[in-house]
Amino acid sequence: MIIKFLKISFIVFFITFFNLNNVSANNQKVDEISKNLRCLICQGQSVYDSNSEFALSVRALILNKLKAGNSEDEIYLFLKSKYGDWIVYEPEFNKYTLVLWLLPLFLFIFGGLLIVRKVFINRPKK
Amino acid sequence: MINLIGNYSLIFALIISLGTMFFSFKNFKYNNILDFNLIVLVFLQFILIFCSFCTLLLAFINSDFSNLAVYNNSHTTKPLFYKISGSWGNHEGSLLLWLLVLSLFSLIFLIQSKKLSVSFRSLSIFFQQIIIVGFILFIFYTSNPFQLIIPTPNEGLGLNPILQDPALAIHPPILYLGYVGSSIIFSSSLAALVCKYTTNQWARDIKKWTLISWIFLTIGIMLGSIWAYYELGWGGFWFWDPVENVSLMPWFCLTALLHCSSVLEKRSSLQSWTIILALCTFMLSMSGTFLVRSGILNSIHTFANDPERGIFILIFLSCLILLSLIIYFKYNNFEKSNKSFFVSKETAIVINNWFMMYFLAVVLIGTIYPIFLEVITKEKISVGPPYFNQLIIPLLIPFLFIMSIGTKLDWIKNKEINVRYKKIVLLILSVLISYLIAKHLNTKILYSTVLISAALYLLFISILDLKNDKLKWSQKTSHLAFSILIISIILNSIFSEEQSVNLKAGEEKKLSKYTIRFEKISKSQIENYTSLKAEIWVSQNNNELIFYPELRLYKVPETITSEADIKTNLFNDNLVVVNYLKDTDYLNIRYQKKPFMLLIWISALMLAVGGILGLRKKY
Repeated sequence: MIIKFLKISFIVFFITFFNLNNVSANNQKVDEISKNLRCLICQGQSVYDSNSEFALSVRALILNKLKAGNSEDEIYLFLKSKYGDWIVYEPEFNKYTLVLWLLPLFLFIFGGLLIVRKVFINRPKK
Repeated sequence: MINLIGNYSLIFALIISLGTMFFSFKNFKYNNILDFNLIVLVFLQFILIFCSFCTLLLAFINSDFSNLAVYNNSHTTKPLFYKISGSWGNHEGSLLLWLLVLSLFSLIFLIQSKKLSVSFRSLSIFFQQIIIVGFILFIFYTSNPFQLIIPTPNEGLGLNPILQDPALAIHPPILYLGYVGSSIIFSSSLAALVCKYTTNQWARDIKKWTLISWIFLTIGIMLGSIWAYYELGWGGFWFWDPVENVSLMPWFCLTALLHCSSVLEKRSSLQSWTIILALCTFMLSMSGTFLVRSGILNSIHTFANDPERGIFILIFLSCLILLSLIIYFKYNNFEKSNKSFFVSKETAIVINNWFMMYFLAVVLIGTIYPIFLEVITKEKISVGPPYFNQLIIPLLIPFLFIMSIGTKLDWIKNKEINVRYKKIVLLILSVLISYLIAKHLNTKILYSTVLISAALYLLFISILDLKNDKLKWSQKTSHLAFSILIISIILNSIFSEEQSVNLKAGEEKKLSKYTIRFEKISKSQIENYTSLKAEIWVSQNNNELIFYPELRLYKVPETITSEADIKTNLFNDNLVVVNYLKDTDYLNIRYQKKPFMLLIWISALMLAVGGILGLRKKY
């Protein structure tokens, strides 16, 4: 029962994991995008949360870009080329962030193996 | 004069520390009866540090600006309450408070551990003194709260107004009680290693301290969240900000330890893992202090920026890690662990620990990775909410399901897993409800359905568990609280609505769902700030709500803070925050609807209450 259960949760995990990356299409895209951007002149606030001039100008820029028909990814790309990777809260997957993204998952699998070893391999012989 | 008293009491406390270390070591080696001198010395040390803290408190209350810390952080116009809380609202004072709690806990530990062996007690005190010496030296070298300025200034620089808030005034002491409680766990596990006392009796002793730290840490984190919710004015309560993450890491570790120590207590297995967790908890608490206080994190909460302090703590931390590694590898000859069965409570707890460690790893890596990357490659990246949400939420789902099964299992071996009709009905019911909720919202149906059903199922099972006689009340309460917490957080994040408009006084704007009217603004002078109170009407389907959000203009230091007006009921929070737009007559008005906020706070409190119930047990 538990093994079946683990299997199911594993499948669910993968489905949801990829589902997360889908972007829901709604009108409040500016809000959504600006929540993922760091306000560069503030201390630890997102562009969405901040009312600084920088944040306001970035929001105006996103709106213009959206009206001009740019996609969300294009906007992120544009902002990254202008201000550097520092501006987005979601680090891109590249050679610098390989460890950042994969280490937790690796540790999770490693921990799982340790548990399997403890429970099954070290099992007392009866 | 008063500064001198404070300073010298600290020096005497340091000297006493050396004495205590000598006596406790001697006691450990050659004696079977606890040296009475030890208790006297530890008591004296506590009194001296208490004295020192009181003098700082007095300096703040009297606004004695000849003291540098007071000058930097206080002002004569500040209300008395914040003068007092100002003494630990700054770096120097907060460290002194750390030290005070540290010595208090040592004393309590020494007094209430009468039943335990003398060598174990004195050795624990010995390790505890190493930490105390480290802290006193740290205070002297990098952050002495008793530094003088000559000539004495007439007026201070004031405390950052965002910090002038009741929740935040008591937040640091509570959080520190949690952090410092883990120092006892640290010292006693080192002592237990040396004395070969890592038995189930030890697990029972350690559990008390684990619970105490865990309770305070839970309440401390909750207070910080509440503060962020109404004071920072974004309507959120958790931002995955580095400073928040830093307090969450020891919490994960403590939660894991709490569960793991009961395995050691009941089944005498997992010894080395319990020790590792116990050591890690304190390391994480220490690094928490280090990361926050050194200012290497780019964060809203970092009010003290001084990298040199960081280096001292880093060295101190490395010494402690080295010490624990040496002791761990020299003395770890644990008995072969007991038989374990796949379907048992033990395995469930191991799985709990597995997930806790994974969450901890995500938070730890996400928090410190950017720092290392910047140092090594000069690449600057931000790791924010999207990262944490993507790595944590998918794994939350199996975690919640396993948690709902785990409590049912027996310690040794479950003969059969009795799948009852009731439970399957509950599972179907929760999937159904979740599907309806997700469909109603019409976004990411599959994802939301699975997530909500996991949380709902746990909630149903926890409610059923209330009747289960096998479980203890503390466990029932905490598990129920946790399930309410998770489901409230999930529903809150899914159902939140917000609208933002820029309006002048007298204007009104119709939005798709609401009409927002900015009625008027009134100005008044209160204690140490000028208050601008706006009157905002929000109407929806003939239902009108009137809000009075406020802007506070402080003169010393010159800052504007924004106070949200929040209307709370059990299922929904409505709040309005206004912000000042530079060089215009317009105000930015943000109206937010946040469901289940009150439930989040109540369940967090209930979680802590569960912990308190756990303390009540007789050992």
